[in-house]
Amino acid sequence: MLSDFIKALRSSNVTVSTAESIDANRVLATVGIENKLLLKHALSMALAKGIDDKKSFNECFDLFFDLSMGLDETKDHDRQISVESEDAHAKTADVLNSLEGETLLSILESDDQIALQQLLAAAVQDVQLQNIRIFTQRGVYMRRILEKIGIDTVDERLYTPTDNDDAEKSDFYRLQHLKASLIEDVASIVDKSLLLYTANEANDLRQEILQKTPLARIEIRDFKVMKQLVSKLAKKLTSIHSRRRRKSKRGYLDVRHTIRKNIQYDGIMFDTVWKRVQIDRPKVIAICDVSGSVSQVARFLLLFLYSVSEIIPKVRSFAFSNYLGEVTELFENNSAEVALAETIKQWGSGSTDYGGALSELERLIGHEIDHRTTVLILGDARSNYGDSGHLALRRIHNRAKKVLWLNPEPRSFWNTGDSEMQKLGACCDRVDPCRTLNHLERIISDIARTAA
Amino acid sequence: MPKLSKVSSEEVINSAKKELKGHGYIASAEIATALYLAQALIKPILIEGPPGVGKTELAIATSKLLGKPLIRLQCYEGLDESKALYEWKYGKQLLYTQVLKEKLSDILEDAGDLSQAVEKLHAFDDVFFSEDFVEPRPLLKALWEKNGAVLLIDEVDKSDQEFEAFLLEILQDYQISIPEIGTVRAEVPPVVFLTSNNTREIGDALKRRCLHLYIPFPEHKLEQEIIKTQMPDVPQSLSKQIVNFVQSLRGMDLKKLPSISETLDWTRALVLLNATELEPHLVRSTLNLLLKFQDDIEHTNPEVPTLIRNAIKDT
Repeated sequence: MLSDFIKALRSSNVTVSTAESIDANRVLATVGIENKLLLKHALSMALAKGIDDKKSFNECFDLFFDLSMGLDETKDHDRQISVESEDAHAKTADVLNSLEGETLLSILESDDQIALQQLLAAAVQDVQLQNIRIFTQRGVYMRRILEKIGIDTVDERLYTPTDNDDAEKSDFYRLQHLKASLIEDVASIVDKSLLLYTANEANDLRQEILQKTPLARIEIRDFKVMKQLVSKLAKKLTSIHSRRRRKSKRGYLDVRHTIRKNIQYDGIMFDTVWKRVQIDRPKVIAICDVSGSVSQVARFLLLFLYSVSEIIPKVRSFAFSNYLGEVTELFENNSAEVALAETIKQWGSGSTDYGGALSELERLIGHEIDHRTTVLILGDARSNYGDSGHLALRRIHNRAKKVLWLNPEPRSFWNTGDSEMQKLGACCDRVDPCRTLNHLERIISDIARTAA
Repeated sequence: MPKLSKVSSEEVINSAKKELKGHGYIASAEIATALYLAQALIKPILIEGPPGVGKTELAIATSKLLGKPLIRLQCYEGLDESKALYEWKYGKQLLYTQVLKEKLSDILEDAGDLSQAVEKLHAFDDVFFSEDFVEPRPLLKALWEKNGAVLLIDEVDKSDQEFEAFLLEILQDYQISIPEIGTVRAEVPPVVFLTSNNTREIGDALKRRCLHLYIPFPEHKLEQEIIKTQMPDVPQSLSKQIVNFVQSLRGMDLKKLPSISETLDWTRALVLLNATELEPHLVRSTLNLLLKFQDDIEHTNPEVPTLIRNAIKDT
């Protein structure tokens, strides 16, 4: 039973390792299964190890124990049976045997809910309902469960011709009614299992597709999913990035530690100990084009920018179309939705002017750009046949550690029409098309590797 | 699967709850369960939650409850083995080297040739790297404690990833390896608490070895109980109003939500000011005890009368 529950947990995106499932078994053995709340608390400590995980765990737990109802609805000796049946994978037939030859028919007629629930629980195990994957399997599983619990005995009774007296007739209707409600019960069990074991599958598929879809074609309604994806991506990248930097540094001789370490050599300095240098986090200046021509993509580029600035402490973000302005503070103080909407509202109305924007950038923070600064530009380099700003960018490039350009257009579109990619690209250390999330991930992790 | 009687575990948990209360800590059912499991399974507890909800307090209360010494290790960036685990008493080593130097001629006096002298010296080899010269730091101290201890590794998220990896051996087997001495194993495994404020994601390997306890902001009833235990002389009506007020503050969009420790500070202040019920000017002048950002205070100020009205209405 526990393994089924863990399976359900995994399908709703809680990662459970083998070691943790062993722990869960020990927990179960310690606290027992009688007190549901206690069990819930205890298992959640062993299995769900994060705030989000706890939430999914709670949902999963309620659904699951709702489903394996044999647990808390039956009492005393019935519980004994159901507990054992979970341990030993009892077959439906065994349960039927243990009910001393009762059939579904007699159970229905005597309205013995406890026996019925037991029977259903055993049948669910028998048909391995936990393997249900897609909703089209509902019918199959329902049928199988019904067969297992012996619906045929009921049918037989229903369709045997009878005398036409009133008592028989009312009996017939009653039984028909009971059968209908039984089928409803089974359907709800199957539905819940479907929900339980496949909760996340659709979501995973959607995320996978979204990662490959060009940013420009992603609908606003997918914004929420994208937000999760992007922040996951940014988190992953920053953690890789920061680790690499930490390893590569090496600093001054630590005299105190060296002396201490070399006492064993009678004070002769064999081993040297080095002080670790203060961690120097890179400064990043990010500029994002939010004009009409890239408005679709801009949302997601901004989103990425927002996530990065949440994780790397020193990101200064700017947005521009015909004017350039700093949005760092806006990002810091607001939620993603508000910050993005505000940015686009404030800066996104004009037509692009790369020349103006880049020289404005230089005027604003040109003096702050130094050999530790990475400048990241997100835009399509379409400057409406105006000044391309490559001279300003050249000056920025000379001061900065790196200038990177991510262009949401495919490479074949560059330098067509008013695109100034050739001129501007010449002033960058790296230019890349950035059309999908996958692109974005690859580029940024490349940057992280080479920048360290 | 061994079946333990359900009564025993439930009873133990309830009694743990009661005893914790005796030591001034009001535990929810979850917290008591975690404590029980940690001892039953001999596993560390990783406690997460917003600042000020009593993560550290729990460890302190537990140490009082079990009558075992509390050994605390505060984590920070750059914390390393020599500060967390052990260090050689190098001053003492130096002194002994000097002593040995003087005695050297005495020892080697009757040695015939060089090989004999070397043999004789070998006998002194390990003296300088024995347990006598080890300066135990918190982790080693906890393992050495004869009757067990309560080990609190505070704010483990502030430490480096390397340090986290280094904790794994201790958390899993309650043992550590000192190259010169060998493996040190705890006779009685300490009860270990790790706390985290979530400034960074804790590694999966560490999480896997711990029970995970999330302490959220307390519920209405629990918070009132906490005030009552900490400050028994606060009038019932006032504490109710305070809790109502704070709870509704937590529903607002603030940078930093007030937690239990802030509630307690505020209550103390109000008692000091002889307040019997919440009044707008009183609340405004003490709001800085609850809210730690100027933005939050400014944001809340206009709402104060409404909040107070609601807080009083509910009582």
